[in-house]
Amino acid sequence: MDVTADASRGLDLSRLVEFGKSVYSLVILLVLWEVVGQLGLIHYYFLPPLSDILIRFAELTLSGEMLFNAYLTLQRALIGLAIASVLGVIVGVLSARNDIVDWFFDPIIKIGYPVPIISLIPVFMLWFGIGDISKIIMVAVGTFWPVAVNARESTRQVETNLIWSAQMMGTSDRRLLWRVVMPAALPGILTGFQIAMPLSLIITFVFEMVAGGGGLGALEIQGVRSFESAQVYAAIIAIMLIGIGLDRILRFVRGRLLHWT
Amino acid sequence: MLPTPVQGVVNTIVDWIPLGIVVLVWELVSGGIVATDVLPAPATVGAEIVGLFVSGEVFSHLFISLFRVGVGLGLSILVGVLLGVGMARSDPVENFFDIFLSMTYPIPKTALVPLAILWLGVGTKTAILIVFLACLLPIVLNANNAAENVDQNLVWAAQMMGTDERSILYKIVFPATIPEIMTGVRQAVPIAFIALVSAELIASNAGMGYLILTSGQIGNYPTMFANIVIISAVAFVAVRAFEEARGRLLVWT
Repeated sequence: MDVTADASRGLDLSRLVEFGKSVYSLVILLVLWEVVGQLGLIHYYFLPPLSDILIRFAELTLSGEMLFNAYLTLQRALIGLAIASVLGVIVGVLSARNDIVDWFFDPIIKIGYPVPIISLIPVFMLWFGIGDISKIIMVAVGTFWPVAVNARESTRQVETNLIWSAQMMGTSDRRLLWRVVMPAALPGILTGFQIAMPLSLIITFVFEMVAGGGGLGALEIQGVRSFESAQVYAAIIAIMLIGIGLDRILRFVRGRLLHWT
Repeated sequence: MLPTPVQGVVNTIVDWIPLGIVVLVWELVSGGIVATDVLPAPATVGAEIVGLFVSGEVFSHLFISLFRVGVGLGLSILVGVLLGVGMARSDPVENFFDIFLSMTYPIPKTALVPLAILWLGVGTKTAILIVFLACLLPIVLNANNAAENVDQNLVWAAQMMGTDERSILYKIVFPATIPEIMTGVRQAVPIAFIALVSAELIASNAGMGYLILTSGQIGNYPTMFANIVIISAVAFVAVRAFEEARGRLLVWT
């Protein structure tokens, strides 16, 4: 009698039950969606059957249209986010380490952070037009605040004992910053990135919806205007996949960089 | 040494000098390096704000926006608290909703504006739905977290004294979760304004977002900047007022 095999089978079964419990509601919803759509209980325009949406998603993906629009969106969001990350970390760390920098930036951050950044889209259209550059600068400006605020708070909270010990051992200011302050502040800085990442996507989508110029946001709004509701749903599936993907990547990077915590 | 109140005033002035510098640079740049069309001077924008309030033009749009943000946020608090606490207290509820929350979590809610247009058309309902969806998750997560971590000793003590399940929920679990629910709402308020303006830019015929977009489109830039300042000030005051209210309400923490 192989007892271990039996035990592992029992474990698998209970795992399966747990898995079933956690996904059954989604399965019911998806089946209901398909049935309601096929029977025409809800007008096609509001809710096309799930299969139609998946076929449209496959069509758009195979024709390359989806990938190209996803590329446009990601390029705008990520370049903007990268610029904001560099500037935000510099300003945040400097204002935590230097009183004059803090004196200058503190009121600006206090006023700038609560501005609903989306309301500046018409201003950026006026200043920089509706092209890629305008969208990238908008993302950079919008995501700068959470990065800077988190970098500043986490740098301020670095234990002074760590800094004193390093100074006592004769560490130069430069090395102190790179070897002691930055690593200790890294968890908070990464939290800032995690807040800024979805914001970069929000700004890009809304800008694309308002001003066009391709991208997943434009693909969606174009679907609404041409009464192609399957395209709207297909674009949202792509957006969901991108959101999940970027979230996973950031968590993975965080786990890698912070393996010592 | 200056007397303390005077010292306080001096400190405040010194604290806000950088902002004065920014406004001064703005004033100098406008009409100098940059055309006044593209960047109206702060004085022009200030006069425009006063004008908008005196003529009463801004009020109808401002009230529509406040109504949308208020209803959307209110609904998300109601549903979010019920869902968060419900998921913490009951396994079937958690099993049912958990998958939906983890699937919608990574979608930026403003990407759902076109979908909301399909269902509800252009206008107030769409804006309320987007504000509601955007605010729901932070509130659910905080309420859920709080309800799961309610001090079990409190619950046991009440049970020992013969309190029924219902009273435990209302008298112990809900009050114990209020501080964290407030934290969730605090996170949701700025999100609500971003969602509101997004919906109004894309799908509205009224409201502050619509006013900003259209005054930009017809080239009335001072009005555009003035409305941006107004909605930002409203968002700022909303956050501050909420923090103040939270401080008063949570005297026991």
